[in-house]
Amino acid sequence: MSHFLRQCAVVARRDFLAVVATPTFLLFLLAPLIMIIIAITGGSGATQAAQSTVDAARIAVIAAPQDAFDIKAADDHLRAVNGSDFLPKLEIIPTHGKDETLAAALFGARKTDYLAVMFGDLKKPVIRHEESSVRSAGLLAEIAEQVVRSRAAGTPITQSMSHPVLQPIKAARAGVGGQRTTAYFAVFGIFFLTLLLAGQSVGMLAEEKSNKVIEILAAALPLEAVFLGKLIGMFGVALLFVTFWSVMIGAALFFTDAGGTIMAMLSPAVGMGPFLILCGLYFTMSYMLLGAVFLGVGGQAATIRDIQMLSLPITILQVAMYGIASKGVAQPESTLARFAEIFPFSSAYAMAGHAANDPALWPHALALIWQALWVAATIFFAARLFRIGVLKSGGGLRAAFGLKAKTD
Amino acid sequence: MSSATPVWAENITKRFGKAHAVRGVSLSVPQGSIYGVLGPNGAGKTTTLRMLLGIIDPDSGTRSLLGYDVPRLASDRVGYLPEERGLYPNMKTVEAIAFMGALRGLGWAEGRTRGQALMESAGLGHATGKKIKHLSKGMAQLVQLLGSIVHKPELIVLDEPFSGLDPVNQEHLEHVIRGERDRGATILFSTHVMGHAERLCDRLSIIAGGLVRFEGTVDEARARLPMQAHYVPNMQSDAIGALLPEDATRVGDGWRFIVPEGGVERMLVALIKAKHGVAGLTMQRPSLHDAFVEIVGKANIGDVVAEQEQAL
Repeated sequence: MSHFLRQCAVVARRDFLAVVATPTFLLFLLAPLIMIIIAITGGSGATQAAQSTVDAARIAVIAAPQDAFDIKAADDHLRAVNGSDFLPKLEIIPTHGKDETLAAALFGARKTDYLAVMFGDLKKPVIRHEESSVRSAGLLAEIAEQVVRSRAAGTPITQSMSHPVLQPIKAARAGVGGQRTTAYFAVFGIFFLTLLLAGQSVGMLAEEKSNKVIEILAAALPLEAVFLGKLIGMFGVALLFVTFWSVMIGAALFFTDAGGTIMAMLSPAVGMGPFLILCGLYFTMSYMLLGAVFLGVGGQAATIRDIQMLSLPITILQVAMYGIASKGVAQPESTLARFAEIFPFSSAYAMAGHAANDPALWPHALALIWQALWVAATIFFAARLFRIGVLKSGGGLRAAFGLKAKTD
Repeated sequence: MSSATPVWAENITKRFGKAHAVRGVSLSVPQGSIYGVLGPNGAGKTTTLRMLLGIIDPDSGTRSLLGYDVPRLASDRVGYLPEERGLYPNMKTVEAIAFMGALRGLGWAEGRTRGQALMESAGLGHATGKKIKHLSKGMAQLVQLLGSIVHKPELIVLDEPFSGLDPVNQEHLEHVIRGERDRGATILFSTHVMGHAERLCDRLSIIAGGLVRFEGTVDEARARLPMQAHYVPNMQSDAIGALLPEDATRVGDGWRFIVPEGGVERMLVALIKAKHGVAGLTMQRPSLHDAFVEIVGKANIGDVVAEQEQAL
């Protein structure tokens, strides 16, 4: 066994260094940074566009000059109490007798977007509004109510009859909702990273096939060691990527204090420490299994076009597995959840979600052994297919399944 | 099988689809020898070597490599230079040699040290820091050869090692092969260039049509053809032909013929008595090339099929 692992290590070391010690790797490592910069730039533009839309929006009251002060005071008071600052600014327009005509004209204004306009007697006001501006219309109604009520009571507009004491607290635990959120994060995170990184293994044998090194490797090592070594090498690259970005994101969360908010949302049933370890293990299994499939398929492909054509169905299959696992973690006791946990290609995702939903640890030991067996079986099968299909060793499918080939 | 037989095969066969690449090859390579597998293009040499090394499995027959029925179990004690050369183009030369050593169980540090020394002894000291992609084809081929012997293997298998090399590097490669044999290694190599085989091989097999057509020493192969003589008379005359063997043919000023079983003495006496004299007489042993052409020429595909059917 140690001999086999040593052989794997030789291949893994070569592949890891061949990827990491190139300028291309820097581009690969920093690719998300480009995505973040684009997102920030795009987000900033969208925010500016949204802000200009808000700035141009208004609600209006057509009122007599003697009502204007009370209306303004009521608007300030209600915005302060209800936190309605996000609603459009209020504009008070002096009445000239033809309020209805003026209101209609306001909705046709070019430079200002009037979302709601109130006119008429404050005891029975008319509020015209765009269909989507119900809350703006509601604010105008409350303004009228506040003015009329204050005048009737003879009290100042800004005087409150009740004086609540607000006491914000942080939730001690996120509860079932937090577990579901955690489960979803785990499933999506492992799926996303696996699909992003394991797909690279599809072309890993292309280099050896094109420069004929495969003959050297096949003569010196069992193909299983070549395949596993290549997977370990590329997994090392993936780990480097994940570690780098985990540190970067962790640091960003730490310095912006957003980490506490996110951690408060997450509540894995097994506890945060074991949960993170399990997620790491499930990512490993998921990467190795999908990577082995990609590697096996890529090994059979004769051209880059074949590789692209063959990798698409695998990607679609993985998206389907993600869908099943996501549905399963939302309904942890369902048959679908059990299926997702057992089916090898969705097991890693679903069991990561399981760790968020259920405190028992023993199912994870079983799941990891089960998944490791599938990784081994996939590598074995992929290596046999490579020997038969590419090295032309013959023996047909019987040999691919490890059975003795028929001879004549 | 004797322990002094590093490579041994008994009637191994291989078929790719409907094509029979190897129809039943048996061979036995003595320890410490240089053994050649000769044959024309498509004879099955490479397939035979790949089966012996365990890269592919035979459809039938048995084989043994350094005492193991499963050749891969002996892989750390074997060096292999494949017909299609392969190196990672971005690796530096010494690193490539160390990598090939590491594949066969040699430590990386030791591989680098030995690689450096091998490069210098091969006259490639100036290229130790270069990447493979910056070497000429011949230099890269030599680097790969050094990689296949860096772990001091007991058995070295070289598939068409001389192809693509210039005469100087071919000479150097012959020197390396002899050096490895002197170290105690067994060398098994394939070629279709007879000169190398003639100079290097202790024993050889000639394969044609997927079958072994000859197995023995170079001398034994040459001995399959009779010795030839080239006679130049003092005086030209049409009557000379009557005193020479029946197969004698005129070649320039002289005559070429196969030396009769009883020798040439009696014939020379007759020629001298008839006043033709002897201006020159050379006796020439047939070359391995002649023997190869004769052996392979006989093995046309009709024979192969008939022999195979008979074997079955």
